Amino acid sequence: MTTPPVVAFAGVSKTYGNGTLALDGVSFEIASGVIHAICGENGAGKSSLMKILFGLEQPSAGAVMIDGEAVVIASPRIAAAKGIGMVHQHFSLVPSLTVTENIVLGQEPRRGALIDRAAARQRVIALAERYNLHVDPDVAVRTLSVAAQQKVEILKALSRDVRVLILDEPTAVLTPPETDELFERLRDLRAAGLTILFISHKLREVRALASHVTVLRAGRLAGDAPLSAIGDDAIARLVMGQAARPEPKRGDRQAGAATVTLEGVSLAARDAADRLSGIDLAIHAGEILGVAGVDGSGQRGLVSLLTGRLQPSSGAIGYHGEPVAGLGTAALRRRGLAHLPADRFHDGGSKRMSLIENAMAGAHRLAAFSAGPFLKRQAMEARTAAMIDEYNVRAPGPRAPLSALSGGNAQKLIAAREFATEPRFLIADQPTRGIDVAAAAFLHERLSELAGRGCAILLITADLDELLALSDRIVVLHAGRIVARMENGPGLTPERLGPAMLGLEAAA
Amino acid sequence: MIRSALVSLVVTAILLVLVVGIVLVPIAMRLPDPLAVLDMFVFGPFRNPRHAGNIVEMATPAMLCGLAVAIMFRAGMFNLGVEGAFFLGGLATVATVLVVPLPAFAMAPVGLLVGAVVGSSICAVPGYLKARYEASELVSSLMLNFAALFVGLFIVNYFLRDPAAGAMVSYKIPVDARLPRLVAGTRIHLGTVVAVAACLVGAVYLFMTRGGYESRIVGLNPSFAAHLGLPIRWITLRAQLIGGLIAAGAGGIEMLGLYQRFSWQSLPGNGWTGVVAAILARDNPILIIPAALFLSYLQVGGDLIARNFDVPSEAVGLIQALVLLVVTSSAIMRNPRLMRLVQGRGGAARPAEPKAVERSPA
Repeated sequence: MTTPPVVAFAGVSKTYGNGTLALDGVSFEIASGVIHAICGENGAGKSSLMKILFGLEQPSAGAVMIDGEAVVIASPRIAAAKGIGMVHQHFSLVPSLTVTENIVLGQEPRRGALIDRAAARQRVIALAERYNLHVDPDVAVRTLSVAAQQKVEILKALSRDVRVLILDEPTAVLTPPETDELFERLRDLRAAGLTILFISHKLREVRALASHVTVLRAGRLAGDAPLSAIGDDAIARLVMGQAARPEPKRGDRQAGAATVTLEGVSLAARDAADRLSGIDLAIHAGEILGVAGVDGSGQRGLVSLLTGRLQPSSGAIGYHGEPVAGLGTAALRRRGLAHLPADRFHDGGSKRMSLIENAMAGAHRLAAFSAGPFLKRQAMEARTAAMIDEYNVRAPGPRAPLSALSGGNAQKLIAAREFATEPRFLIADQPTRGIDVAAAAFLHERLSELAGRGCAILLITADLDELLALSDRIVVLHAGRIVARMENGPGLTPERLGPAMLGLEAAA
Repeated sequence: MIRSALVSLVVTAILLVLVVGIVLVPIAMRLPDPLAVLDMFVFGPFRNPRHAGNIVEMATPAMLCGLAVAIMFRAGMFNLGVEGAFFLGGLATVATVLVVPLPAFAMAPVGLLVGAVVGSSICAVPGYLKARYEASELVSSLMLNFAALFVGLFIVNYFLRDPAAGAMVSYKIPVDARLPRLVAGTRIHLGTVVAVAACLVGAVYLFMTRGGYESRIVGLNPSFAAHLGLPIRWITLRAQLIGGLIAAGAGGIEMLGLYQRFSWQSLPGNGWTGVVAAILARDNPILIIPAALFLSYLQVGGDLIARNFDVPSEAVGLIQALVLLVVTSSAIMRNPRLMRLVQGRGGAARPAEPKAVERSPA
């Protein structure tokens, strides 16, 4: 007798209230005890499907089967009772509570009316021991690194006796070494008999971890195969629905004069991760300068200085050869600065405002969009509609709120706004983090085009593929210092960048 | 967006009716004729033009104070100085028309202008302290309200008091300074027209001008405003200056429209009504007009039953308190800026995953 698949989707469809068809007759099975990857662009329906499995959404048609029986998962509580746990992309931890308190929250061991803290702590320690996920049970969650918080999330899910663990883009927030460690732990979990659903759009990770892959595209099942039977190109084609991802061309653009210079710049910040010391750097017109480095090596401080949010403790920053000491963001923007911020919803836009209001912020004072104190609202709407068209933003319309867009589409809209000023210096901070392959490829093309037109671009990214595909030169930041400078070329590989990023060697 | 705000306004209004019913029905049942009590509360305000006029009169300062609050809230500033600004604005207006020799036609405009400028300090000072020292505008404006009250009472007692009046009230406001009455049989005055017009202008300001747009960006997401390089301190201060001028002007209009003498012995509460009206209207200036009228309607109905039946005035107070709770609590569910304030500002940004509970249409 064969065991039925632990989870099976049978013709699952989902139509949202606003008419969006997120899933269209999706059917596939997940075998017990494997790591099963689900791939697809943003908006392909991965998240909707997982929300249905976790009881956050109800399917409009079709059924979910667990152990071969059709079940109605009306809430996450029922999902938990069926042994399904989920680690969300955005953690749902209480920052001020300790690790133990977060894990036992909602299922506290009691002694009379009181919480049995010793038992709770013991339970967490045992759990961490059993799954080899080590975290200090007594520290407040807010003091933990993102990777450690993710471990807490996983432990929290495991503490509910799960059989199926859903991980939604778990590596989006991790550095490469942290990703490796997470993968080790996930393999341990599989060895312990868990079924893991791994949602990702990074093919390399899927290949490294999973044994089976399901590809969704535009709400439909595009492919479903064991990884041993399908090549990377084939997966990429299924994800993109067209020829494999076009490699961005670095072309033969020529670097011109230095647009932005930093001489001996140091920053004494409260947070060690923001500190910089003795940075000498020039970003030239028409080049993309890549900044590699483990998260928290000073990238945030560098961005704060270059956008005028902070002033250096010593050293000088120049724009076009002129010192810009004391100038704020507005003054630097007038001198040609544009910025794609790392946290696109926190800094890059306002979720509750319309696409028009997000796209036109900053440009709204131009004569084209205002007359005296009044805004030319029709001109603003028309311009936004043109941007949506030009940047291929999938949106219900210019009046929709930014919150209606997926991460990739929001990023494209923000890029449209920032690039529209024809900047002379652009800071692209994690420009494609957490967005789908097609949107990322599109943004890469646009960045190359901008550089080709003479814009100086500082590219800060944790994605080494992106770094190597786009950059002309690369500097490596470690602990607030530049520890390596390299010309990009066919000989430069992630393996050569790694030691410098980890501060192991000062590469040539 | 005005449509969704209207929906929540209606939902809140229905909740209010339920709450009022819960308090009022048991009280009415004790009386010989319970239906008459309910009847008077619900329909009484419309039976007679004088009472209907009362609704409009009371709604006038509520509209202006609500507008002042909405403009400040939209910029993310929880400045509660409207109450003090209203009080001080009324006093400064009366003081000006009493003390400064002015030709008849100039009395009201000059008085209102001086009142608005002087009274606005109660919103402006916390705004400045916020911009300069990052002092919480909520705390400093609340405290300053009481400073306004006692400074005001001192001025009335020592400089404006009419010894012949037999109470701590000012000399009579000159007839020439008073605002013209508009509807015979009521006390509806020119100020109502000003208030409605101000709300319309306020909507234009917030949604159709550069200043209002920038102000809303700062209020909804200060980080985004910083990314754009907007002058955040100036924008928030400007919102509080505008709010203060409107609230203080409302105090002057109230005095010149309805009063014979300056007779407030405590903070009159119109500023607080304005806060409730703004929250009820989701900071939308146009919806503040119906919100203010609705709150005034409840007030007039409550006053009528307290006056005509053996209903303790505490019961009317209880109804008003519950109304406040319903209005503010249902707003807290939806207003992210209020949520931020409740949770502690700049606190851990937790991603809210709004759970859309939908049933399949099969």
